[in-house]
This record gives sequence, C-alpha cells and structure tokens, in this order.
Amino acid sequence: MKVRKNLPAVGEFGWIWIAFVLLVGACAVLAPSAIGLASVYSMLPFAAVLVLLAVGQTLVVQQRGLDMSVAAIVTLAGLLVAKFTAMTGSPLAGVVLTCGVCGAAGILNGLLVARIGISPIVATLATGAMFFGVARILSGGSAMAISPSLQALSQARLLGVPVLFYVAVVLVVSVSLILRMTIVGRRFIAVGSNIATARAQGTRTALYQVGSYGVAGVCYAIAGIALAGFIGYATPTAGSSYLLPSIAAVVVGGTPFTGGKGSVVATAGAALFMTLLDQMVLSLGAGPAMQLFAQAIAIIIAVSIRRLPEVAKLMGGKKRLT
Amino acid sequence: MAEEFRLRVEGVSKRFPGVWALRDVSFDVLAGEVHGLVGENGAGKSTLMGIASGALAPDEGAVSVNGVDVSADPDLVRARGLAIVRQEPALMPDLSVAENIYLGVSAERRPRPAQMNAWAQNLLRQWDPEIAIDAGQRVDLMNAQQRFIIEIVKALAGEPTVLVLDEPTEHMMSEDVARLFDRIRALTRKGVGVVYISHRIREVRSIADRVTVLREGQSQGSHAMESLTEKDIVALIVGKAVDHEFPKKEVQRTIQQPRLQVTGLSGEGFSDVSLSIQPGEILGLAGMDGQGKREFVAGLVGLTTSRGNVTLDGVTIGTGNTAQTAAQGIQYLSGSRHRDGMFGDLSVRENFSYRSLLSVARGGIVSREAESAAAGAAVRSYDIKTPGVETRIGSLSGGNQQKVLIAGILASDPKVVIIDEPTQGVDIGARVFIYQAIAEAARSGISFIIVSSDAGELAGICHRVAVFSSGHVVSELGGDEVSESAIISAVLTSGSARKQQDGAARLGDQLVKWFAGNWAPLVTVTGIILALGFYAGISNEFYLTPRSIGGMLTLVAALAMVACGQQVLMLIGGIDLSVGPLMGLTSVVMSFFFVKDMPVETQLVGWLLLLAVAVMVGVLNWALVDPLGMHPMMATLATFMLLQSVSLVLRPTPMGMIDFDFLDTVNTRWAFLPVAALLALVLALVMDALLFRSGLGIKLRGFGSRADAARVAGINPRMMRLLAYVGCSTLSVAAGVLMIGQVGIGDAMSGNDYTLASIAAAVVGGASLFGGRGSFVGAFLGALLITQVNVVTTFLNLTDGWRSVLLGVMIVVAVAAYSRARKMVVAA
Repeated sequence: MKVRKNLPAVGEFGWIWIAFVLLVGACAVLAPSAIGLASVYSMLPFAAVLVLLAVGQTLVVQQRGLDMSVAAIVTLAGLLVAKFTAMTGSPLAGVVLTCGVCGAAGILNGLLVARIGISPIVATLATGAMFFGVARILSGGSAMAISPSLQALSQARLLGVPVLFYVAVVLVVSVSLILRMTIVGRRFIAVGSNIATARAQGTRTALYQVGSYGVAGVCYAIAGIALAGFIGYATPTAGSSYLLPSIAAVVVGGTPFTGGKGSVVATAGAALFMTLLDQMVLSLGAGPAMQLFAQAIAIIIAVSIRRLPEVAKLMGGKKRLT
Repeated sequence: MAEEFRLRVEGVSKRFPGVWALRDVSFDVLAGEVHGLVGENGAGKSTLMGIASGALAPDEGAVSVNGVDVSADPDLVRARGLAIVRQEPALMPDLSVAENIYLGVSAERRPRPAQMNAWAQNLLRQWDPEIAIDAGQRVDLMNAQQRFIIEIVKALAGEPTVLVLDEPTEHMMSEDVARLFDRIRALTRKGVGVVYISHRIREVRSIADRVTVLREGQSQGSHAMESLTEKDIVALIVGKAVDHEFPKKEVQRTIQQPRLQVTGLSGEGFSDVSLSIQPGEILGLAGMDGQGKREFVAGLVGLTTSRGNVTLDGVTIGTGNTAQTAAQGIQYLSGSRHRDGMFGDLSVRENFSYRSLLSVARGGIVSREAESAAAGAAVRSYDIKTPGVETRIGSLSGGNQQKVLIAGILASDPKVVIIDEPTQGVDIGARVFIYQAIAEAARSGISFIIVSSDAGELAGICHRVAVFSSGHVVSELGGDEVSESAIISAVLTSGSARKQQDGAARLGDQLVKWFAGNWAPLVTVTGIILALGFYAGISNEFYLTPRSIGGMLTLVAALAMVACGQQVLMLIGGIDLSVGPLMGLTSVVMSFFFVKDMPVETQLVGWLLLLAVAVMVGVLNWALVDPLGMHPMMATLATFMLLQSVSLVLRPTPMGMIDFDFLDTVNTRWAFLPVAALLALVLALVMDALLFRSGLGIKLRGFGSRADAARVAGINPRMMRLLAYVGCSTLSVAAGVLMIGQVGIGDAMSGNDYTLASIAAAVVGGASLFGGRGSFVGAFLGALLITQVNVVTTFLNLTDGWRSVLLGVMIVVAVAAYSRARKMVVAA
C-alpha cells in the first residue's frame, strides 16, 4: 500500500496538531476568552518558555534518557545571566556565558549517564540537587534583577507577537531541520534507536549521548534567561514548577521513552496544547485542581491513542479511554 | 520390562516465515537410554527442543512425555518430569545460587527458605564434593562454567525423568565433562531418559546409545550408536553435495601486497592471532563458539580493546574504536541483527544509507532525493521484498533485512567487510542471493572475512578458512582443502576442553566484589551517617543531644516509609512518581476524619477509606503500566497529576486541623526516640526478612532481576507487578499517616517533596532502577542519610544551598560506586 504524498497519513507525531485544532475549536465554543487577544498575549511568553525547555527534554528522551535537572538549570540560568551581566557589563556576554555554563552542566549529566553508567533519572536527580544548591548559594536566597535591555528584549513584541515566541520557533525549526537533514542528526537518531548497532557501524555513541544532554542544557539556559527577562528578575525558585510540564509535553507530543525517533515539532505543539488547556480550564472558572486533572487525562489519552489497536484488542473491542 | 517411552516426538513440523525449521521429524527416548541429537547449526535442533519443552507450538505433530500428550504446554511438560539444561542458562543474576535452584524446582520440592543454603550446597556437593561454588553467593559473580554447572544442578534437583542437555560441554572443563558423564550413566541406571545435543561427535559416540541426525530440518533417521562410525555420522550431517547453492569461486590470484595484515593481535578471549587477506579474497573463520573467532573480530573492528599490529594496504591503522576502523573502510556486520546489526525501528532507507551518508550528503546535509534514489536502486537490484523504502526494516523477513544491511555495506565503498553469520535466519532464496553478492563484490577487489558456524557455507564461498581454538588460529585451510568435511573435522579435532581460568583474586577485585554486594550500600551509608554525625558532634555541642537526635528521627519516619514503598517498585525495575501526591492525599483524607471530637466510628471509616485509596491507586498505576502498556514514568506522572487534582478539589487550601490527641499518638516517643521511626525500622527489617527469606520475596527479586528467566521458573509477571504497585501505594499511604505528625492539617501539596526524596533514599540505599537490587533496611538508611545531611548542615551553619549540593554529590558518588562495581563484577 502506498501513501500518497499530497495526503499524508496522520503519523504518530501528527495527532497533537489535530488535538490542538480541536482544542482551539472547543475554546471558541466553550471559553472564547481563552483564545481572546489578552489571553493569548499573556499565554504566549510562558508557552514559549515551556517549548524551549521541552525541546531540550525531547533530545534527552530521544537518547533513552530523562532529565530531572531541567528545573534546576532553568533557575540557575536566570541567576547566572543576572550575575554575569553585572560582572561583565554586557548582556550579550552574560547570555553567552550562561549558555556555556548550563551547557557544561548538561555535559556533566551526559558524562554521568554515558561514562559512569548511572541511570539517567538518578544522575539528573542528583545533579539537579547540586544545581539548585549552586543557584541558592549564588542568589543568597533572594531575587536578582535582570538588566533592563534583556528585560526589554524579553518583553518586546514584533509585528504584535512576543519576541520570545520567535525565539522558540527559531529553536524548534533549527533543531528539527538539523535532526532531519544532516548527518549529525541521522547519527543522533540512530544512537537513540539502537546504541549497540550504531557502535558496531562505527559511530562515536558517547559523543551523541553526552552532546544531547549538553544541547539540552543550552536550551534550558535560553528558557531560563527568557523567563527571568520576561518577569524582570531571577529567583532561586523560578524554574521549580517546570519539571513535570516539560516531561508531559514530550509524552503528549508522542516522542516515545524507548528512544530514537521523536519530534521536537510535536513536542512544541504539545507545549502549546498544554498551555492552552490550562488557559481554557481557567477561563471556565475552574482552578488549578482541574488544570492538573485535564493534564493527566491528556497524558493518558495521548499515550493510549497511539496504542489504540492493541488497547482495543485487549479490551475486547471496547474503546473507552477515560 | 517392556520398552517405555520417556519422550516421544511424532511427525513434528514447524515453519517460520520463509523456512521450514522442521519437517515431519519423529524420534523417541526410551527409559534408561541416552539419545544423541546431532546436526549443524540451523539443522533444527534448538527448534526441536523448543517444541519438546513446550516453549514452541508445532504446526503439525505431537509431543508426549511419559505417555501423556504435552504439546505446547511448558508447565505440563515440567510437571511430567522433563527438564532442560540450556546452552544459555536461565538464571537470575541478582539472586544467590541457592535461590536460583530453589525457584528452579517445583513448589513441593522446595525446602523451607531458612534451610535453602544448606539444601542447595548439598545438591552442589552431590555434583562435586570439592565444589568451589558457594550456594549463598549471587549468580552474577559466577563465570560461564560455574553458571552452567548451576543450571545442571538445578535441573537434577527436580529429579527429572527426561533430561535434555543442550551443548552441555561447551562451557566445561575436562574433569567436569567426566563428572557429567558419570552422572548421566547413574541417571540412566535409574531409568531416566537423556537427550544429548552436541556438535562434538566423539562425545556423542562415547555417551549415547542411539543417535538421531538432523539436516535442514529433516531427520536422517535414528541409529544405534555402534552401527555408525564417526565418518558415517559426518556423512549424515553433511549430506550430499549442495554446490549449486554457491557461486563459482574465482581462482585466487598470485600474492600481492595484502589488503589487511594482522600481526600478533591479542585481546579478551583471543591471543597472538596473525592473519593476512589479499584484495578480493574471502577468508572464513571457523571454530566452536567461545573459541575466539568472534572475540577476534570484535577486537579487530574496535568493539573491544586489543593489542597488536594491523595494517591496511601496508599502512598501520588504529583499532581503538569502531569509528576509527569504519573510517578506514573496515565495515562490520554483527551476527545478531536485532541486538546490534540493524536499527529495527528505522526505515529501510535509513538502515541502507547509514554507512554511506557521506556519499549522499553535501556539507553535512543529506540529500533526501539522492538517498531515496540509492535505497530504491538497492531494493530493486537486490530484489528486496518491501512495500517501499520507508517501510520499517523490523517488519521485513530476515532474508530481506540481511539484504538491506549487506547492500548498505557495499554502498559505502568498503575495503574490508567482516560479516558474522551472513545467512543466519535467512531463507534459502535470499541466501543464494547473498552469496552471489559477496562473490561479486570480492571480484571487484573487496576483501571479506566471513565468520560462520556453518561449515558448508564456509566451504562454499571462502577461498581460505582459518580455524580457531582456545583463542588461537590452529590451522588454515586453503585451495582444495576448503571442503565442508575438512572444516568440520578440523573444528572437531581441535582441542575442545577449555582452559582453567586462573582464579587468583587480587585485593582490588575483592574490593570491587564487595562494593557490588548487598552489604556495601548498608555499610557505606551507615559509615557516612556516623561520620557526619561525629563531625557535627565535635563542631556543635547541641547536635549530640536527645532533643536533636529525637527531632531528626521524627523527620526520618515518613521518608523511610515512603522510600520502602519506592524500593518495592524498584525491585521489579519500576518507579513511582505518584507517591508524594498520594501522601498529600492521605493528609487531606485524614483532615476529614481525624478532627477534634470525631467519634470512633468515623475514624474507623477514615482508616478503611485510606486503605481503599491505597489499593485503588496501586491498581490504577498497575493498570496503566501493565495491561495498558504505559511506561512507568508516564503512567505514574499521570497519576501524580490526578491525585494532586483530587486533593486540591477536596482541600483547595490547607485546612482541617487534625485532632491534637491523634497527633500526640502519632508523635509518641519512647524515651527520646519517636515510635514512628522505630516502627519504620521494624517494618523495614520485617520486610527484608520476607524479601530474602520467603518464597514470595525471592520471586519478586527474581522477577526484577531477569523477567524471562523468572517466567521459565513459573513466576507470573502480572501478579508480581500488581503486588509491587499495590505494595508501594500502601506504604506511601502509611508514610502519609506518619507525615501528618509534622503537617497536622490537610494539605494537598504537603507530600510533593517526598517523590524525589524517596527515589534518592532508595538508590542511595542500594536500589537499582534496573531491578532486582536493594533492601528495605537500605532504603531506611538512605532516608536516614538524607535527613542527617539536612540536620547536620543546619548544625554546621551551612546554608540550604550547600546542603543541596552536598546531597547531590553524595548521591552521585554512592550510586557511581555501586553501579561501577556491579558492572565490573558482571564483566569479569
């Protein structure tokens, strides 16, 4: 059976966009304020931060890993950019140094996993504690101001759309293109898919494993800088609430924990979906409890829908998913 | 006594996609008889034994054990007294030798767990009175020979009436071979029927009464041993010439500069190997498994470390890793496609072009058109049966997979191609095609090294064959000597018994072994706790006071309890993120039932409700993971959010003060020690006793250690998972009850920090996320350590930041030490 090119089937990574359109439709009917201009403006910058984080998390998951240190690195990045900018007097230098340090933090994660052989959850749990500690020591427990120029940039809009959103789009598109089109991307996917085969065929597998944690660290750094810039200051707890959403976005986007294939575009779609879902629940007048409930159901449906044939067989034809 | 059939296989056929593995095979084993089963690799011996053991269902025919039809029912086969000693022992590495034997026999034969070690040691001594295996040691510390002996002792412990031995002497030293033969003779005197499968014709001749020869899935008849000479057997195994399968060999040209010259290469499992290959030459490597041919190849391509000199076209090259050798044009294809030969989840196109990406890329960017065109061309010219180049390679038949992989290698413009078992799992049509492709590529000047256990294949395509034994090349056959019978006889007559490995243990090894053991985490963690306490004690006089110690232990109780819950799941290789919110939910539920002036009946309802919550959450997690097949992380993340939302609906903000009398009960102290912490410790000790001294605990650990081996031992995976998830949630609810002593109010978020802390405590205490390891006392000590770090840093006036850094460093160091040590021990 041939799939016609002009009418592609809904692949495993296509579902999320259908879901997103359906959700927008549901908002239009049930909670129009959720997709009103004011709501979208307040939502987009935070959605962009989540997208940036989730892209990093996706890369790690594609290498059969999981990064529990994401919240700590985001927090650290906000504080570092404040510190480095103050030290060097240049926001640009601050951003570059922050990305460097956070990339190195990611590389530390990768080395513990690929070289020492600690399971990813435990390794990043431990380094997460270390990075949080460093963040606290750096800040002395209080908030640090972000330089006005970085603030202005993070809060700016171009053609009516927040600049942060463009940053997220650029990152998603470039990571996606690199993974799809380059030799490096192909090797990256191969190592995640079957590390033993990749090694037997002459790939330096540790390079790709460690590299993915490193690049993820840089993604978190950009997210952390964006978040701190948008809020205007960096706090030692800024990133705490981002661990679970970053994993949830990967899961809902459809990148499997078994490694290899994945889609940062789908992850980005899932990050938008989850943010809009939150917004819709709020607009309907429900609180954080219902937000969490909706997210949990979204995860279960997202995972089940891709296994629909097997699940249907298992339940003897009953296809109820809630 | 009339002739009695122990095992009877009648007219069995089995078809795998593209090939007949067995065709109308019949044979039987009489009481008191040793029946040899011989044939080349792929002749169908393993399939036949799989069917006899009930693991495989035959397409046609029937199997009976002691007169009862047992087709395709492994439990019935075992119950009727058939035991198999597999070439790859089905042992659970994290369990002790005794525990493996214990689980390996049927329930009514098992001793009381307390007597298990003595019982197992006795069985081992029956094998060899001076045996060096300690029944109490873990199996992962045993080498291949010892594991095989354990597997045999396990099979004998069940006092089988039919014993199947699959290549039993492959891993044995000569004195053990003699011992095995003695035991076999003793068994047959008692009327046991023995099936003896082996490559080694001499051994079969010396032990078997009758022999059945299999060739290409068909029986060549059962014969009385004395009626056949060694030559007759070889003739039956090889059969008539099958030359038409193979392409015509090119006559080798005169000596040129060798393409590849290996001089004195040594490494793990092979030593001092020297070989040279001409351009366009096909060199075969023959020899029994474990005699060095595969080990040599692994060293040559850089998968393992090796020493020696390798030159390619006269230039010395490095063989430090596969990237180096592949870049030089040495391409390797593994013999086990699924493990490290192909990317099963990726497409035909991606698998085909992986080695030749540079040729379809410009500036690092792959041209999709060029790539698809090349893959499409390969699909056509190799006649690969696939719906398209975007089809997942894993969904193709073995022959088509292999064609894609070989086409991919040849597209990368290689100089030397090394293929291990080029036609394993490949149907006859594809086989002919692959031989032709290799011959054609050789004509164009590419050199090949072919590793194969099929002598006919080597004879058919190779110009020269090197035979490995004990890690060395013992003979080289060239020209007319390259025939199937010459190769078989060279392999069979080469020294067979293995060399005794020198077992001198150095102090370093001892230390590594200790660190890999069950006690290391307990001793290490206790040591760190005491050291921290000592340092805090001399730095701050207020640390070593009943008040401060009591306060610390109060904090330990809840964390220790939930860490024990996490430990239950980690034993089976799972993880539960929802424990924290479940503790929060516990506090919320309690805040409705345990408030001031509530009657006893209401409290009773509260307790019942807590129990119901524990069971329901456990079942929910299990249902998401097991029947629904979600990854444990995803499943328990979803549960995390669900529980949190339920708690927040019930208590949007912290409310519902718990009755002070109740809180006092939870916070009761015995002298200065909080009873809750003592309770957690006692519980941990009791659960450890169950874990290591009860059948259920051993099963749980065995399942976590190696699920497939556990299934062979009759352990139900679904039940084990259900038990673990419900156990974990029940302990988490209990931890929530202990936590209420600190919180005192219904707070949905109060437990959230416990999720990560419980994981940290369990792994510091020795749990492994891969399952099978750790203990509840370890989890308790892990919890104590985390709390100790928190408390001590306060006494030392360190800030939260330093506390957090210290905690992270400690987790990394502890876990790195255990995991390194465990890896090193297993590798040894």
